[in-house]
Amino acid sequence: MALVNPDFAEELKAFGVDTALECFNCGTCAAICPLIFEHFPRKMIRYVQVGATEKILQQAQELWRCLHCGLCTQTCPRQANPAELILGLRRYVVARWRRA
Amino acid sequence: MYNPRDIINLISAHVRKSRNPFGIPSSQINTWWREAPGFTRRPGDALLVTGLMYQSIPYIEATTRYLERLEGSRWADYLRFGRLSRYIPSFVVGRGFACLTSKASMQQFNRILVSICRLLTQSSVDFFYHPEMDFYSGILLYDLGDQEGFVEHAKFVARTLKLHGVKKIITVDPHTTYALKELYPKYTGVSFEVQPYFALLRPHQVSRGNGRPPVAIHDPCFYGRYLKVSEGPRQLLSGLGLSYTEVRNCGEFTSCCGGPAESVSPALNREILDRRVAELKASGAPVVTFCPICLANLLKAGLPVEDLASLLDRSW
Ligand code: SF4
Ligand code: SF4
Repeated sequence: MALVNPDFAEELKAFGVDTALECFNCGTCAAICPLIFEHFPRKMIRYVQVGATEKILQQAQELWRCLHCGLCTQTCPRQANPAELILGLRRYVVARWRRA
Repeated sequence: MYNPRDIINLISAHVRKSRNPFGIPSSQINTWWREAPGFTRRPGDALLVTGLMYQSIPYIEATTRYLERLEGSRWADYLRFGRLSRYIPSFVVGRGFACLTSKASMQQFNRILVSICRLLTQSSVDFFYHPEMDFYSGILLYDLGDQEGFVEHAKFVARTLKLHGVKKIITVDPHTTYALKELYPKYTGVSFEVQPYFALLRPHQVSRGNGRPPVAIHDPCFYGRYLKVSEGPRQLLSGLGLSYTEVRNCGEFTSCCGGPAESVSPALNREILDRRVAELKASGAPVVTFCPICLANLLKAGLPVEDLASLLDRSW
């Protein structure tokens, strides 16, 4: 059973992530992302929305596949800024690693 | 894929120690200016900042070649799960550099900076260069998510430049341009007037380009999408009578060459690169680009490609 953290989106604001709730999961970002990898980055944004902190930490390494190319941000119809979201999640994970 | 945690810790320690990602003195990397004509250390209106990006490519290439071989080998699991995952990258990046980096590659990238210097001089741009003030921007730390490390380094750079009265900066690559123009004001509170070199060039005459076959433009992501300055190089080419052709996915919608994946996964880098190369090859024209990472990556794929500065320098 996965635990959810309802305050996750709020916690991420300290890492520069404040657009996660704008996303309506259309999948445009995943369709255009050159990684063509398991619904990335939409999947990660969905985890943020539902507070699946553990899922993100389990799959943290995937965040570093992102090229920061910005194509997803360029095409997102909701200005959810997925590229910056991924970068913010990296910051969050690095901070966790350093605290551990 | 290498463990990002190890890569981040390593690069972060190097930046703290030597103010560049390699852990060796910047003066060892930054030697291009010794052959450059016509620059002054002071006075001058704007400081030329290379951000050590072009000079770093031979070091990055050497490391990547080595990591690429390991990533696909039977050692891969040791790298992924074993203690070697910490040892190998630090060996390659640290001690391995001296023997892995080729002199020819260093000269190739240094020559591009010499061309930029010459182009600025020929356009009567009032600039100066000071090797001790030419800092690495810290952009890799930012991209990897080491916010703390990036901000510490950026504050050091911004403070030093400010102390020396620098107000205007001329950059030569998209990553340093983005860092100094967009990230420094936000994270250090210090703003400079930042312009890429090609925005300042003024061809005096329509020249020898006429009749040459067109070149295909590969726009780097940070110039095309983040900074939206793709038009500048196109205007320069047109101004010199050099024709160019647009490839599928260009300007704001340019395709990434895969370069940023290099530090964590050379295999992923190859996968993305192959797709971009197919798009560029479809144009049938030699490629021109204006980012050292894109240039090195496309060269690695065996494409006929050169830097914008080299092409302009030949045609000026
Ligand atoms: S394109 Fe934007 S709105 Fe659509 S899934 Fe991606 S982040 Fe969400
Ligand atoms: S920025 Fe990252 S997530 Fe977005 S399209 Fe590029 S590689 Fe994919």
